[in-house]
Amino acid sequence: MMYEFKVADLAEEFGVHRNTIRNWINSRTLPAQEGPGKRYAMKVSDYVALCDKFGIIPKVNMEMAVEIEELKTITTAQTGQPILQLGEKTNTLFDDPSWGDVCLTCGTCASACPIAGVNGLDPRKIVRMAVLGLEEELIESSWPWKCTMCGKCEEACPMNVEIVKLMRRLRSRRPRNLVPGPIHKGVAMCLERGNNLGIPKDDFAFLLQDLGEELAAETCPGFTTPLEVRGSRLLITVNSKEPFAEPDDMKWWWKIFYAANESWTVSADNWEGVNWGLFSGDDEAMKTIVGRIVDNLERLHCEALLLPE
Amino acid sequence: MRENRITLDNTIHTKLATYHDPCNYGRKSLKAFGHGYFEEGRIITRACCPSFVDMEPNRNGNYCCGAGGGAWAMPYAPERVFYGRIKARQIQECGAKMVIAPCHNCRDQLKKSLNKEFDLGIEVKYLWELVSDSVIIPTKK
Ligand code: SF4
Ligand code: SF4
Repeated sequence: MMYEFKVADLAEEFGVHRNTIRNWINSRTLPAQEGPGKRYAMKVSDYVALCDKFGIIPKVNMEMAVEIEELKTITTAQTGQPILQLGEKTNTLFDDPSWGDVCLTCGTCASACPIAGVNGLDPRKIVRMAVLGLEEELIESSWPWKCTMCGKCEEACPMNVEIVKLMRRLRSRRPRNLVPGPIHKGVAMCLERGNNLGIPKDDFAFLLQDLGEELAAETCPGFTTPLEVRGSRLLITVNSKEPFAEPDDMKWWWKIFYAANESWTVSADNWEGVNWGLFSGDDEAMKTIVGRIVDNLERLHCEALLLPE
Repeated sequence: MRENRITLDNTIHTKLATYHDPCNYGRKSLKAFGHGYFEEGRIITRACCPSFVDMEPNRNGNYCCGAGGGAWAMPYAPERVFYGRIKARQIQECGAKMVIAPCHNCRDQLKKSLNKEFDLGIEVKYLWELVSDSVIIPTKK
């Protein structure tokens, strides 16, 4: 451990002239190294020895230094806490320092977050835990799934920490069978059957036709649902909750299209517009599902995509 | 609307209306694409609802409804409602009786959860539901 000093300060401490200190340094009577900002450093042991010689009480002493060996002797039993090892671990949660290292621990994000305090956690603590490498604890925590990835914290953060990306990374690190709720099952179902709720192709086509007839009778004379119409201007995706539970809600968009005399279509397969991979942290699935929509666009020669979300 | 392909009747919805900024349309689009869709939804809402008020804070500073990021489907309902208390307060404080939500998640949280949990006494509509209910169907088709 080194004792850092300025020549003037040391001269005052020992009651000698500044030039005396400089002479000692030059003659190596005082073994000190010159550092930046006209500062010098010497070993604390040399400093203490010098103080002894002059009969003055050292400002610092060896007991004040925490020796690494001493740290190692602090056992779990003594503190009740496992010792946290810093500095040797590569943080696999971060892509770059903007994900956490730049955090000032100011707590602004926690003040902005509507669920700060739930389970004793908040975005500041999550970022800090991630910086400290507490990955397992974070991946096991349900907190990142209660966070809505709304970005309010990021908007408030003075350091632009990528808090939402971190939350999503934490989600993606969960084993898939431990993803809470139905969202991973929805992703798996979508990959297998083309929509999150596994609605069969024939049922979907029949429902759309039926609803179209209803709409024609209600407000839009002559309306028919344009399923798989090649060369339509717009391709429209569908949120599977609608055909599943709230089918009449689809008619709102259809009525607008009718009034605007729009050219549009819905594909018979892979029409799902809700990409739950975004929320479950599954980039591969997201890509596949988006790719299928692009395939539909090309196959049906549509000009534009409308995700009526 | 811009191309005059649809005409909207602004006399149907007379209640004081407000517009909920979905995080993904606004704040997160601004970050991802450099454009936050804050004004588009308001222009459409005001074209249907002349009596309009904004919540505070709004746009980039808006509070999430509490059901985003998949939270509507998560098995953490008490937390979701707790989260939504701020949204509920924003709605109450602005005095609106009609809340326009341009996102499926937000609409479900506002209509099926917060409205009941916090006795808001509001009507909630999708943005396109509002347009559909306001659009004038051309007579000759
Ligand atoms: S993104 Fe998550 S952590 Fe940040 S304010 Fe929203 S809910 Fe809180
Ligand atoms: S607001 Fe940003 S800098 Fe402040 S604690 Fe949160 S993440 Fe860190």
